[in-house]
Amino acid sequence: MNVRRAWHHAFLMRRPSLNLGLFRLAVAFTVGAHIIPSFFHLDENFLFTAFRTKNVSCYPLWILRLVDMSPDWVVQLWVVIFCVSLAMFTLGWHSQLSCIVMTTACYYFNALNNFQIGTLSFDILLVTLILMCITSYPGDFLSLDSLRHGWTRSYKRLRPYFIQRLLQLQVTWTFWYTALSKITAGGNWITGNPYYNLMHDPPIGVVRDFPFRQWLGQYPIFCHQLGLILLGFEFMIPLLWLLPTTRPLGIALGIAFQLMLWATLHVPTIFLFLFPPLMLLLIRPEALVRWIEARQTVNAKRGRAVLLYDGQCGFCLESIRRLRVLDLFGWVDPVDFHAQPDLAKLNPALTPERCRSEMVLLEPNGRLSGGFQAFARLTYRLPFLMWLAPFAHLPGADWVGTRIYRWVAAHRYLLHRNPACQTNHCAARDLN
Amino acid sequence: MLLGAAQYIMKPMRRRHALITCFVIAWTLLFHYETLRANYLSPLAGRELPKLPLLFPPAGWIMFYRVDRSYGFAEVYGIRGDHAIKLDPHQTFQTKAVGYDNIRRNVLIEVLSRPYAESFCRYLRWKFPEYESFAVVYAEYPDVIASPTQILRQVAYRCR
Repeated sequence: MNVRRAWHHAFLMRRPSLNLGLFRLAVAFTVGAHIIPSFFHLDENFLFTAFRTKNVSCYPLWILRLVDMSPDWVVQLWVVIFCVSLAMFTLGWHSQLSCIVMTTACYYFNALNNFQIGTLSFDILLVTLILMCITSYPGDFLSLDSLRHGWTRSYKRLRPYFIQRLLQLQVTWTFWYTALSKITAGGNWITGNPYYNLMHDPPIGVVRDFPFRQWLGQYPIFCHQLGLILLGFEFMIPLLWLLPTTRPLGIALGIAFQLMLWATLHVPTIFLFLFPPLMLLLIRPEALVRWIEARQTVNAKRGRAVLLYDGQCGFCLESIRRLRVLDLFGWVDPVDFHAQPDLAKLNPALTPERCRSEMVLLEPNGRLSGGFQAFARLTYRLPFLMWLAPFAHLPGADWVGTRIYRWVAAHRYLLHRNPACQTNHCAARDLN
Repeated sequence: MLLGAAQYIMKPMRRRHALITCFVIAWTLLFHYETLRANYLSPLAGRELPKLPLLFPPAGWIMFYRVDRSYGFAEVYGIRGDHAIKLDPHQTFQTKAVGYDNIRRNVLIEVLSRPYAESFCRYLRWKFPEYESFAVVYAEYPDVIASPTQILRQVAYRCR
């Protein structure tokens, strides 16, 4: 019975899937950073002129032959497919489908030419991608999918925990097996002094010219001890992850370990981009949900901003539904101005005419802004819109944005889904 | 009626739990099998055990597991008349990875493999049309500590 309960708790229990949503961004960045640079020199990597090597241990021969027959236009088509699916996966638009297509493209390019992108870390990435493709959970949070479906509480959407647990186990096992291979199966970290050898790597070699390298190279005994300490860390760090009390220290040490690896060696940056986010998956999702809700409580106590909108316009209602998804920390309270009998009570400058002509944002400090300026203020405050803030404040953005906003506001009744107002009569009636 | 509703809800949930359980067990077994296959299970079985295609590295997670005092690498020489000019590996392959140097990761050593000779020669002729022929050389530091400047060289193959 206890085993059953433990299994249920480990893999089957429904828990918030927001960690996977955040991890999706890290995976997308890692995939892009690893594959896209090879596209800048298609002629030396994938086209007919390229020097290609084959990963015969991974792919059946018939796949390698089939892929090798690709004419250049097919390769270029796959480049487009990869870029589109990567963009979709990053934005979380049809997350599962885009993940499957992107992973297929990764396999295609790896089968076509293993030379530049085929590394051990790429194998780890592929294993991770397969797990990300199994379900749609990575698209629950911080995604266009959640925006499209209007999941206002997407950060606490409950899903079976097995994908996150398997990813946690993957990083744990990878650490342990890497350490194990250093002391068994031909590994020489106990019998030899690999760290000392690495310090004497030739100029073209894998070791970077980091500070103290030459100094370390003078002390073989110290290097041997340092190598053993590193080995100990590789075994110990996953042990720290097992206990909730030592987990934060384990995660910090693990990330520091990866940083050290990247700072001293010319290893693929996948290590740096993928492993720390994998370790962050060890954070309990409930802790993140509590943190988000604490921020919401703080905003509620301070007093929320008020966004006055036209509740008789379907387009506006649809936009507000999406705004509620974007407003993770509950900073703004959307209010239909038609339902507000005394607008002047909120702010003397507010009139029904103004609220009809544009959305108006009233911030807790009394600051009033409307139309595009209100949108620009929202990009400062809503975490999911923050990436737009630099664009909204570019020189000239205000001029362009205001004109676009005015056009949308004037035609908003055309854009909404209420068949009674499809001819824009509502707009004409209200504005007259 | 309530019992019926509960059963209606529970049935798909049970099926989903069964599916997840099967997947987790299968994935875990595969992960460990592929990790241990090359260096532990195959020697134990006394034969090369089959590898799952399309997933997992061929020899498990072996990052920097063995580093000895020798260091082998590849050099490429462009030949024009009687002159052999060593080609800059960063010019031979100009792809720049993000945050690290693939050439320093010794990626060029793969060109020494005989089955790739023809393909690499074709590539060199396309990339450096100004040379008449090429020589691909295996170079080795026999001991990076005892003799850090000594490099042994041997022509692996020539491209006419």
